[in-house]
Amino acid sequence: MSVVELEHVWKVFGNRSAEAMAAIEAEGIGKAEVLRRFEAVVGVKDASFAVEEGEIFCLMGLSGSGKSTLVRHINRLIEPTSGTIRILGEDIGAMKTEALRVLRADKIGMVFQNMALLPHRSVRDNIGFALELRGVDGYTRAQLADNALETVSLHGYGDRLPSELSGGMQQRVGLARALAADPEILLMDEPFSALDPLIRRNLQDEFLGLSQNLKKTTIFITHDLDEAIRMGDRIGIMKDGEIVQIGTAEDIATAPADDYVADFVAGISRLKLVSAAKIMMATDQFTARNGAIDPAAQHPVASPHDDLDTLVGLSTGTDLPVLIKDSDTLVGIVTKDTLLRGLQGGADA
Amino acid sequence: MSGAETRDIDERDVSVDTFVERNVGYFAPIFERIQRGKLPLWHLNIWAVLVPWGWAAARGAWLLFWVSLAIDLVALVCLMQVVKFTPLLAQAQADASANTTLIARYSGWITTYGWIGSLLFVGGRLWMGSTANRWYFNQYSRWRIDQSVPHGVDVKRAVLGVLVIALIAPLTIYRATQLRLDERACFNQIRAAEGVDVLLPRYGAESVPALLTAMDAKVDQANAGLAKLEALDALTDDQKSERSALRKTVRDLGRSRGLVTNYQNISARDRFDCFTIDDFPTLARLDPPEDVTYRRVPDPDAAGATKVLREVKDPVEGRKVTIFTYSAESIDISINYLRAQYATAFDAMTNVLRQSLIRVEVAFMQTPWPVVAFLFIALSWAFAGNGTTVFVASSLAFLALFELWQIAMQTMALVVVSTAVCVLIGLPIGIWMAKNKLFRWITEPVLDVMQTIPSLSYLVPAVAFFGISQPPAVLATVIFAMPPMIKLTALGILQVPETTKEAALAFGASNRQLLRKVELPMAIPSIMAGLNQTIMLALSMATISAFIGAEGLGAIVTSALGDAQAGKGLLAGIAIALVAMMIDRILKGIRNAFSRI
Repeated sequence: MSVVELEHVWKVFGNRSAEAMAAIEAEGIGKAEVLRRFEAVVGVKDASFAVEEGEIFCLMGLSGSGKSTLVRHINRLIEPTSGTIRILGEDIGAMKTEALRVLRADKIGMVFQNMALLPHRSVRDNIGFALELRGVDGYTRAQLADNALETVSLHGYGDRLPSELSGGMQQRVGLARALAADPEILLMDEPFSALDPLIRRNLQDEFLGLSQNLKKTTIFITHDLDEAIRMGDRIGIMKDGEIVQIGTAEDIATAPADDYVADFVAGISRLKLVSAAKIMMATDQFTARNGAIDPAAQHPVASPHDDLDTLVGLSTGTDLPVLIKDSDTLVGIVTKDTLLRGLQGGADA
Repeated sequence: MSGAETRDIDERDVSVDTFVERNVGYFAPIFERIQRGKLPLWHLNIWAVLVPWGWAAARGAWLLFWVSLAIDLVALVCLMQVVKFTPLLAQAQADASANTTLIARYSGWITTYGWIGSLLFVGGRLWMGSTANRWYFNQYSRWRIDQSVPHGVDVKRAVLGVLVIALIAPLTIYRATQLRLDERACFNQIRAAEGVDVLLPRYGAESVPALLTAMDAKVDQANAGLAKLEALDALTDDQKSERSALRKTVRDLGRSRGLVTNYQNISARDRFDCFTIDDFPTLARLDPPEDVTYRRVPDPDAAGATKVLREVKDPVEGRKVTIFTYSAESIDISINYLRAQYATAFDAMTNVLRQSLIRVEVAFMQTPWPVVAFLFIALSWAFAGNGTTVFVASSLAFLALFELWQIAMQTMALVVVSTAVCVLIGLPIGIWMAKNKLFRWITEPVLDVMQTIPSLSYLVPAVAFFGISQPPAVLATVIFAMPPMIKLTALGILQVPETTKEAALAFGASNRQLLRKVELPMAIPSIMAGLNQTIMLALSMATISAFIGAEGLGAIVTSALGDAQAGKGLLAGIAIALVAMMIDRILKGIRNAFSRI
């Protein structure tokens, strides 16, 4: 069972969104038509995906692509116009206010781009906020908050006011607040976008480390493809409210679904992204062209999962092609030609 | 022109062309010279000199239209004064020796107005001719950003302009040529019209001439009767009284006839002057509302109970009232009714207010002065710093030395109770206002009225409902001082960032928790500012409420006003200001000490 599951979620903004939605379903009209006829804006268009337990799922898209709108459907801060959202198998669209409140307080933690800390409360009280809403007593709250502070390496800052902390530290507090109630799901809405590059990288690494220990199911919003690749087990790319492709970083880099995605991935470094299996040449193709492989020669050997970076390291300092072996079976060969092609981005070279 | 320049202008010409529509050849180079800052001041737009308002209306430059129309009208009005006074001057000169002052005055006016009018007219036209193109260029710049700005030449606009002028100019100029009618003239006209209105049905006449004929017939009849009686040699007592009655009828008829002929003789011009241009023709005369009074009397049917007794007075014969008087009297009657009908409720409310006032007054006035003084000084020292402490101590010394202590404490009690009521009512209303758009839309104008309606005008109904002395004073103060409390509470809550509220909701806050744990705490600075304003306004009402018998420092001010004792009034006024500043500074200190944001 997936932890978070979205099925055909639509969001249409405007006073006549219901009519617009009906027309979309009946006539299949497009965005421009919806705007013209109903003065309604399509925010999310037919989004479906499922996130498994412990997975980090990145939603990537430029500003205005609807990714923040979509993530707010997961805790129903925004009501979908149509479609189903299931959290841990439960349809949240059918939930009553009270059940929804409990779900938000217990199961889902959220981190915001602008931190959204309460300025009148100390860091500790901010972190204990979700617990307080749940009715946890003050002593337990303080303990859990201090634990959470330790997790984000802000030990000893509990009594400060948010305004006394730097942006990076404030975002750690935001993260601690989301973690304090020990939710199963983390929603992170561009958490690191407002931070400067060094601190951003730092926090990304820390979050990855934390994530490996805590195994929270995470939905991570970002407009930065590099960040999406670093953080995400899988990536969903959004454009104009629509998810255009879902896949691992490697899938998206090697087989972009359309020109838009291709444009996106054109600029990224493939060194650490693409594995040998994606670019290697079949053995018989190689032998047909170059003759049989001399078993005596000192061929460098790599596994199909090794990335291009490793292959480059292996093939420098020798003229021989790299043999790709999967548990001692020869599965393919990477020559310098194939390697260069692979780096360049010719996916099927 | 060099090649490069030509290309520049060509590109721009496209938009100038669309904007100007006609006379592009004239405007394109002009606009360019304006942009380069090279259009000389003496460059005139001939159309704008000749018919500035016409040109402006056709081009859609409405601001220029109104400005030019205003300048022309003022100039014409000045010139019309010359027309008005010239015949008067001639009249006066007919008997020059008797009218020396008048002649000097009239000829002075004629010269002054003549010069002002001519200069304004010529200067205004020149100025408009010189600035019209710049004005039009500004319009062009605005049009490039916002295509809804008028452009081109439009006959419809010109027609509209002419209509506006036709509506405004003739009446204004006519008015300027006429001497103002004697104030009584219009009043007499109204009286005559009213008299005729009464007489018409009495004689069953449809029109004024028919009325006169009917009256003449009556006079003739009476005169005939009289003549018959006079012809007799000796009169009985009955006949004597009949004769005097007939004489009276003739006299009365003569008077009424005079009124009607007067009415008939009012010139058409005077009627026009009175009813069309002098003042708004408030001719509506209504029958006054029924003169009812309501009184609460013991109920004869049930012992110990009371009931409302309704008494109607006979209307005054022939009395007619204006709409204003009609409404005012209706309101009086409603107040009277409410006061009698809901006497228990009003008395209960008065009682609650009086009792709480008494308690607070006791607290302030019967606590020994050293204790109160110590509390004030301690508070300011703890929260507001040394400077404020010195200020508070000297203010208290001022009150004590001038023997105003007890009176000041009384004022303080009034302010405390009023402020408490303001907070108790204002805070929930403010919260509701922030949460509900419709309620906000309704409440905002009400609050504006509460703040701007002169307090003296609601002191009267307050007295009607709640009697005199402190309780109605508290209510009047609450009405005046509550709006900032409500407004700033609402503002503070509305100012809480949407993202912060969203975060609270995302962590599972209910609406109540959102209000209590996020919105209210974050609105505290704003709410405190509202409280501060409320206290200041409550103090400033102290003087006004003294008019209805509220005691305290204000009463000294009002009595000083009555007796023209400037010194007494000033000292009491200073005492009020000191009390206000003490409270303000101490509150500010407390606010800063507790505020985190």
